Amino acid sequence: MITQDIRMSPQRSLLRRWFEPKSIKQMAPATAVIVYGLLMLWAVFVLFPLYWLLITSFKLPADVNAGPVYLPWIDFTPSLHAWRELFVFDYEDTLRAYINSIIIALLATALCVTIGSMAAYALARIQYKPKFATIVLFVLCLVAMAVVVGRWGVDWRLSLAVALAVFFVLARAVGRHFKATLGNGDILFWMISQRILPPIVAVIPIYMMFQSVRLLDTHIAQILAYSVVNLPIVVWLMYDFFVTIPTDLDESAQLDGATRFATFVEIILPLAKPGLAATTLLVLILCWNEYLLSLFLSTSNAQTMPILVAAMNAGERGILWWSMAVVIIVMIIPVVLMALVLQRFISKGILLGAVKG
Amino acid sequence: MNVEARGIDTGHRAQRLSLRSLNKSFGVVHVVKDLSIDVAPGEFLVLLGPSGCGKTTGLRIIAGLETADSGQVVLGDNDVTNILPKYRDVAMVFQSYALYPHKTAAENIDFPLKVRGVSKQERELAVRDAAAQVHMEDLLDRYPRQLSGGQRQRVALARAIVRRPSVFLMDEPLSNLDAKLRGFMRAELKRMQHQLGVTTVYVTHDQVEAMTLAHRVAIMDRGVLQQIGPPREVYDRPANLFVAGFMGSPPMNFLRGRIEDNRFESHGVSLPVAADKGTMAKDVVMGFRAEDANIVKPGAGLFDATVYAAEPTGDVTLVTLAVGEESLSIKMPRDYDIDFDKAVAVHFPLDRGFLFDAHSGVRLAARLVSVS
Amino acid sequence: MTSGTGPTTTSQLGHVAPAGLNASVTTRARLNEWLDRQSRQIFIAPAVIMILIFSVFPTIASLVLAFSNIRLRAGSYQVQFVGLRNFRKQFFGTEQFHFLGTFTSISLLGWIVTIASAAGLIWWLYRYAKQGFAILGFIGRLITASVGFGLALLFSATLFSGNPFGTLGVTILYVLVGCTIQFLIGLGLAVLCAQPIKGRTFFRVVFFIPLMITPIGIGYSFRMLADTTKGPFSPVWQWIGLGDFGWANHAWTARLFIVIGDSWQWIPFIFVILLAALENVSRDQVEAGQVDGASGWQVFKEITWPQIAPVAATVMLIRIIEAFKLVDLPNIMTSGGPGIATESMTLHSFFAWRALNLGDSAAIAYLLLFVTVVLCVSFFNLIVLKRLRPT
Repeated sequence: MITQDIRMSPQRSLLRRWFEPKSIKQMAPATAVIVYGLLMLWAVFVLFPLYWLLITSFKLPADVNAGPVYLPWIDFTPSLHAWRELFVFDYEDTLRAYINSIIIALLATALCVTIGSMAAYALARIQYKPKFATIVLFVLCLVAMAVVVGRWGVDWRLSLAVALAVFFVLARAVGRHFKATLGNGDILFWMISQRILPPIVAVIPIYMMFQSVRLLDTHIAQILAYSVVNLPIVVWLMYDFFVTIPTDLDESAQLDGATRFATFVEIILPLAKPGLAATTLLVLILCWNEYLLSLFLSTSNAQTMPILVAAMNAGERGILWWSMAVVIIVMIIPVVLMALVLQRFISKGILLGAVKG
Repeated sequence: MNVEARGIDTGHRAQRLSLRSLNKSFGVVHVVKDLSIDVAPGEFLVLLGPSGCGKTTGLRIIAGLETADSGQVVLGDNDVTNILPKYRDVAMVFQSYALYPHKTAAENIDFPLKVRGVSKQERELAVRDAAAQVHMEDLLDRYPRQLSGGQRQRVALARAIVRRPSVFLMDEPLSNLDAKLRGFMRAELKRMQHQLGVTTVYVTHDQVEAMTLAHRVAIMDRGVLQQIGPPREVYDRPANLFVAGFMGSPPMNFLRGRIEDNRFESHGVSLPVAADKGTMAKDVVMGFRAEDANIVKPGAGLFDATVYAAEPTGDVTLVTLAVGEESLSIKMPRDYDIDFDKAVAVHFPLDRGFLFDAHSGVRLAARLVSVS
Repeated sequence: MTSGTGPTTTSQLGHVAPAGLNASVTTRARLNEWLDRQSRQIFIAPAVIMILIFSVFPTIASLVLAFSNIRLRAGSYQVQFVGLRNFRKQFFGTEQFHFLGTFTSISLLGWIVTIASAAGLIWWLYRYAKQGFAILGFIGRLITASVGFGLALLFSATLFSGNPFGTLGVTILYVLVGCTIQFLIGLGLAVLCAQPIKGRTFFRVVFFIPLMITPIGIGYSFRMLADTTKGPFSPVWQWIGLGDFGWANHAWTARLFIVIGDSWQWIPFIFVILLAALENVSRDQVEAGQVDGASGWQVFKEITWPQIAPVAATVMLIRIIEAFKLVDLPNIMTSGGPGIATESMTLHSFFAWRALNLGDSAAIAYLLLFVTVVLCVSFFNLIVLKRLRPT
């Protein structure tokens, strides 16, 4: 039975025409106005800071200090003053920081994605059964070592050697006694949950560790630290990818005589290219933006761009907004470009699978 | 609360459904071409055709999930062409069943009533009633993932029934079931539709389903309606080559040839033809069904052939014959046996032979006549 | 050179000498085979070792530091065990104002909040105990309830009583308020973008950009934007009469701007994931709902939302985990000021380290770890798991 509405008014009332869509695939006129309106509003909210940043970099000091001017060529004449200053005068510092950022980000990403993918692949294919007791023993050895080094100032190399020795000696015996094992799921959870650790907790001992081997303010220190911080993400995303690749391929390759490593490199990785690309981009961007670790682990030579920019917040003259704008733009352009490439992967739902799992 | 005022009918008056010159294109592809069908109240109409023929699009236009580029959809006395699906009083069973995974079977069936604001009491009654009609009373508390394919399909059916709509729409509801279950559900569906008496439009590519379920079959190919009529008529008097070849298992046998001087000529075949109004020479296709034909001694039939293979299937024996470059299928009784490459002849009653124009596919008025 | 006999193989790396071939098997092939047999360990070892060295061990070491007083002596560290002194300092001692806040007296509103939350939490525990008690579950919920009550008490005594609160409160504020706003707006944008609109790709790309921009850059940009004399909105400020207002000099406006900056960056994350989830909802089910007579809102509430709820819960868990780590924005935009009004716990710990109070620094870091873990695990167990179950 057709409902009352239709029988009552064969023509749609004005209210209905505004608030109800004509067909199932369209929006009602009033709805369309609201939807487009809100979306454009947010688009302005997103783009305006970037626009302001851009035009500020082309302003003269006088333009900035006198009060806000909005439109180039109409309110003010754009000039390359700030750009010239940066590229001609402050060149060295900026260039050094930029190159440090590039080197550290690229190498850290390479390291992180490599060992993360290998671990993810292993967890997706191999059954691990670490004994719970062995792990407890290991943690106890670590604690003992930390206490011994901290409390009684024993040389860390010595205590490390002793702790490892103790562990290896006892591990077999303990393992034979207590049989309870953990599985792949637990290892995966352990790796991914490292992300919950606030870096500030780990960074002080890391600082002290690098200081004692005189590796502070070097590239290698930051590369190692950045890799570990982003490892959980790589393992999480790549694991989801590898799990969807059927094991038939591995088995067939191994029957053909390939080693596990060859299988991994020549067969599995090419299939996981989209996920690998997305993950690499993501980690690259995170490493580029890293601030806290660089703050602790670098002083002058190995400073990255975020530190350089943060350090410009000095002086009694207040911030020189025009040159600040230039440095910021130079810092964020690579990431914006990387983000534009990354978003295509995300919209293909590549990373959604991981989140759903 | 008065149930009737909510648009729920306790008994139901079947409605007529009319499609008038519907056209729909997706981009450059003209998917539905000038479709016009009148479905009588309470009729079970099957839209039959191969994939891509526009039958599902036609169904979705009736539901309101697609909007036709031109044409009208009239339900009862109301033109519903530009009305949203929820006002059209149609219920649809999707091919994938479209059950809501986070709701129990009962909640799924309950949903159409719930969104219309029917009171809880009445809803419970209606749900139990609908569930009883599909024999699902004791599975109401399960979630879709805990149900088998056939059970899920029945929940989808119950959800369609519960509203007592004017029209049922079904999009290949049996295609995801295994063969045995499909046969069982076919009988269930037929009986249910008969009991409820609701006008039903059913889309399928399976001509057996069409034959068994339909009051009338509407065959479509590439967006165009080829023929519409009771199953018997569509089977015994196909309007064109496509319909003739689509219906029947095994498909109708075809021999390509020409009509010249009132004779049908093909490789090794020459049969007299009665053609009215002085037919000119033209290319034709002759067709006859496997079950209408018989294998006889060479010379004793309409034309000769050689045995290509014989396949006993249990209830019949399918014999494939070679005539020139064409192959024909003949259904013979279950005990029939014959050697490879044996020379034989084919005989069938002349009124069971059809002649089709080879280019347009239309069935010709010309027919085969007896030799003498 | 691989083993002499046998068919040629594709890659040097990949060939393992087939068993039984006793022709001159070179050391290279033998090495390859041994490596392959060790592949179980080799694949996973680097990751495990890295995590042990740079994550697990530092966490343990940090605890040791938190229990110590550390002095720099002649180029090396002198570590002296002081037990819980650093922690006590934060809660009851000289650093209490910094970490917890200043306490005078609790106002009426404060008492109401305290008692209401205590009652609510006790009732929640009681209800759990009645329906299917499990000892581990109960202990977990007890911890959650205690921490929850502690925070409620903190806020009653400070925020609701007109007293200033310290870095713990600031961090919780950033997480709770920030993440709630980000979730609501992110979900709203995703729903808007999931409508049949033209230009979805344009919006998707534009909305995604802020997520990847270096937070330092965002911090400075927003400082620029918020400036009342030189920023683009200064005409507006002048017109309202706040022409000389220093937003960075007032606690709540400073916090507001940091939340705005943080939201500007993180809403895209929630938006992108939720939009993808919305697009993944089975079209058939939505159409079935529409044919059955559901309005747009009913379709969302009954069909769409239950299906994206698991994704929403997971994405919020990720967001909350990251929110606890906030440090770039407060450091750049306000240096934690005015006073300590915008200082997150990470920033607090950093300042302590810079002032060479390593013990305090480690203690605060550990308190942050504790709060993070309790709240994130609670969120996971109580909300994420519950959402993941029905489907």
